[in-house]
Amino acid sequence: MQILTDLILKIPGADGMSDLVMHIICAAIMATLMFIVMALCALIFTWMERKVAGFLQSRYGPMRTGRWHGWAQAIADMLKILAKEDIIPRDADRGLYVFAPILVMLGSLLAWAAIPWAPGFVAADLDLGLMYIFAVSSMAVVGILMAGWASNNKWALYGAARGAAQMISYEVPLALATIPVVMYTGSLNTQDIVIAQQGGMLNWFIFRDPFLFVAFFMYFIAGIAETNRGPFDMPETESELVAGYHTEYTGMRFAFFFLAEYANLFLIALIAVMIFLGGWWAPIPFLDFLPPALTFIIKGVMMVFLNMWVRWTLPRVRVDQLMHLCWKVMIPVTLICVIGSGIWMMVSGQAG
Amino acid sequence: MAIENIKTSKGWADQDHVPGLKSELLELNMGPQHPATHGVLRLVLLTDGEVVYKVTPVMGYLHRCAEKIAEGVNYKQWVVYTDRFDYLSPMTCNHAYVTALEKVMQQEVPERAEHIRIVVSELSRMASHLIALATFGLDMGAWTPLLYCFREREVILDLLERISGGRMLYNYMVPGGVRYDVPKDNWASDVIDFITMIENKKLKDYNELLSFNKIFIGRLANVAVIDPQTAIDYGCTGPVLRGSGVKFDCRKDDPYSLYHKFDFEIPVGMGEKGTVGDCWDRYMVRVREIEQSCRIIRQALESLPDGPYQAIELKKIVKAPAGAAYSRVESAKGELGHYIIADGGQTAFRNKVRSPSFCNLQVMEKVGVGLMISDLVALIGSLDIVLGEIDR
Amino acid sequence: MDQKEIYQLMAEKLGTAALGFSDEGVEACADVAPERIAEACLFLRDDERLAFNQLMCLSGIDWDGYDENGKGKSVKILGYAEDGQPETSDHVSEGDFGVVYSLYSHSKLHKFTVRVRVSRDKAAVPSVAQVWSTADWHEREAWDLLGISFEGHPNLRRILLEEHWVGHPLRKDYQMPDSWDNVPLNGQPYGNNPFPTPEVTPDPTLDQPAGDDPVEG
Repeated sequence: MQILTDLILKIPGADGMSDLVMHIICAAIMATLMFIVMALCALIFTWMERKVAGFLQSRYGPMRTGRWHGWAQAIADMLKILAKEDIIPRDADRGLYVFAPILVMLGSLLAWAAIPWAPGFVAADLDLGLMYIFAVSSMAVVGILMAGWASNNKWALYGAARGAAQMISYEVPLALATIPVVMYTGSLNTQDIVIAQQGGMLNWFIFRDPFLFVAFFMYFIAGIAETNRGPFDMPETESELVAGYHTEYTGMRFAFFFLAEYANLFLIALIAVMIFLGGWWAPIPFLDFLPPALTFIIKGVMMVFLNMWVRWTLPRVRVDQLMHLCWKVMIPVTLICVIGSGIWMMVSGQAG
Repeated sequence: MAIENIKTSKGWADQDHVPGLKSELLELNMGPQHPATHGVLRLVLLTDGEVVYKVTPVMGYLHRCAEKIAEGVNYKQWVVYTDRFDYLSPMTCNHAYVTALEKVMQQEVPERAEHIRIVVSELSRMASHLIALATFGLDMGAWTPLLYCFREREVILDLLERISGGRMLYNYMVPGGVRYDVPKDNWASDVIDFITMIENKKLKDYNELLSFNKIFIGRLANVAVIDPQTAIDYGCTGPVLRGSGVKFDCRKDDPYSLYHKFDFEIPVGMGEKGTVGDCWDRYMVRVREIEQSCRIIRQALESLPDGPYQAIELKKIVKAPAGAAYSRVESAKGELGHYIIADGGQTAFRNKVRSPSFCNLQVMEKVGVGLMISDLVALIGSLDIVLGEIDR
Repeated sequence: MDQKEIYQLMAEKLGTAALGFSDEGVEACADVAPERIAEACLFLRDDERLAFNQLMCLSGIDWDGYDENGKGKSVKILGYAEDGQPETSDHVSEGDFGVVYSLYSHSKLHKFTVRVRVSRDKAAVPSVAQVWSTADWHEREAWDLLGISFEGHPNLRRILLEEHWVGHPLRKDYQMPDSWDNVPLNGQPYGNNPFPTPEVTPDPTLDQPAGDDPVEG
């Protein structure tokens, strides 16, 4: 944000602007930038998902569009989806129906603001950054519930009910798993968390103590559930609920859900990198020459790959097993992680 | 709420729990366009949240009254229509019909033809079971086995194309033999290579990837248990019956063709991961049957005798003497029977088809009650129905 | 057990209702009086010596035009003529209806076939759905395609055809309809819309906007 302000100040005549105007301009630029990055991510990850799936399933995936390994497939799909007819069911609740995809999109877009891409490069450098991320990304639940309800379709309603139950439940272990990290850092600021992991792989929080190691996997599992991806894709469950909460959506409105899914996927991966895997720090000093943002993104993409690998390998769990896993396994384990980390901190003298 | 309560008493939803708030069961229409119903089956569900209170299958969307057509076309022409019953294993359907017809005609079949029939039937059964595994995995949300199984099925289709000329619908068997002889190129050795690959490698892959996956077992063990009594009472046959622990297979217990000559086992559900007769047992019976099919094919090809592949006198038009007979074979889905009444002419007077999926599906009305929607999907997948032969 | 012995056991129980036994031809079968078929089936299932616990197949048959001398002179099947119009015939159907029960015993490993015949004007047979659950759908199918009514069946509705289909297609005198649900079947062109919207009387309870229902009580 500061960098951007400085840049704008260099433009002749920019000195005279009031702080408020300045702030709005900066925010607008940042938001646009984030949106573009996010849309780009969604495009790249849809292509990547298909290639990864193809790789795992001993086939090629898209090969035609754009010649080299079908790199333009996602763009073509997006153009196609833009050209689709926008259908609103006759008996749908129009207001909610139209607003739901925007809300889902907004939830993940807002969360992107607090992601620290490189030292000092974060759209909103908030003191409560981590908490803010979880707070705004849970808005997606409301959007999904709205979409399912407004569609006036029983399958969509089922998907929405499942989605709401799942996402609200899994937010608990997701947030709990990050608490040990916050304890170590003593701050919720996303930049501070990354800075605390400086100095090689062993300083990453995942390797700080065994409880954090477990917490990372808890975070990863909860993250899959939070992004509604297999084996926890309850809100969609294409073989049970047709398409879940977005059964009735077409065209651009559907694309919004789609975009939000992939944006969330990357977001969750980036948070994992940020809090457990050393953020923008290179794993070994030899790789320090890489730009921090690039290191950060590469790590994020690797996490996304891991996520896709899981999705294309495992069958789906049942909805009650999902809840069982959350409330009876993951939450106790993450709580133990919190306590264990606390004790470890005291014993090893790292308590701040 | 316990599942027993749903089966015995009225559901939770029928009672007024909160004074002044009325609740009722939700009627949910599953299909005919639904990814889990394996075609155009429609299920009308009464649900209480996720729990299914009542299942009513509605079918007939693919009905073309093939039995009426059988009265209009002659015996040889109707072989084509049998392909369309179970389009995933058409060879066994062909086999069922020609077996029944030969029984009415009291027609002998050359030994070579019987061997070829058994080989192609078993290949077809393998293809059908591969699809059953694949789509069952898909129902459970595992995409990757689908592609693997289809990859192997592709080889079977290629092999069957080389012998019959068709990839999906073969019209290969004729009353009194088969339409073409085994190709002169190394078809037989290719089949042997293929089944060796399946036995040694692919089945292991599927088992590692799907069958013994923890989540998969968790989804299927103890789900939708069909006990042996119910299975027999509802006329279930094939892997569904065997999954319930009843050791019955037409190939062994009511031998037709030359199956009595070959050495193979009948896999039954043993309740390894849960109760006998749960979805996992039914699934696993299919996996093990693929193995047994491999054994049969190997034996049949190794002892393939020389001689004619068609009864010579049957090359012209076929007439059956007046009479009636019911004959059944073990198709991929179960007992596929034909009741043929001949009146001495070129066409059947009546040809009733007893299709296994039709009878297997019926058990859903009983077993489906009290399951969750996700379990119902597992039940449909484990019954492995094909709407082409339910609707006929 | 031998087919003949099975028949004799059944005949002992049923007395005059066991109408006969024939083991000529390919498959032996027993004829039973239609009004006592449910009783016969129950006996066949429950008797320890017989234990026919599976109904393999239940076939409904329209015997109209069947020539027992084996000349193959069954009735002409009516379809559509070349101009697309349904074919008609002045043939008067008079044959009986029949139902054939093919039974199998999983414990004794024997088979048996029981037949009944009912007259065309009173095509009704007692249902065996209480004896074997699988008969439920088989009987519904026979009702659907042949119009044989099964007395005491819990749910005798059409199963493969639409609820409001006219006629029973497997009857030998069935005539093809020239249209169904306003969709012409006789090969005539029907414009751009093959499935015109059927007229539906609006259900007043459905038209209320969602959420406006007052909470009862």
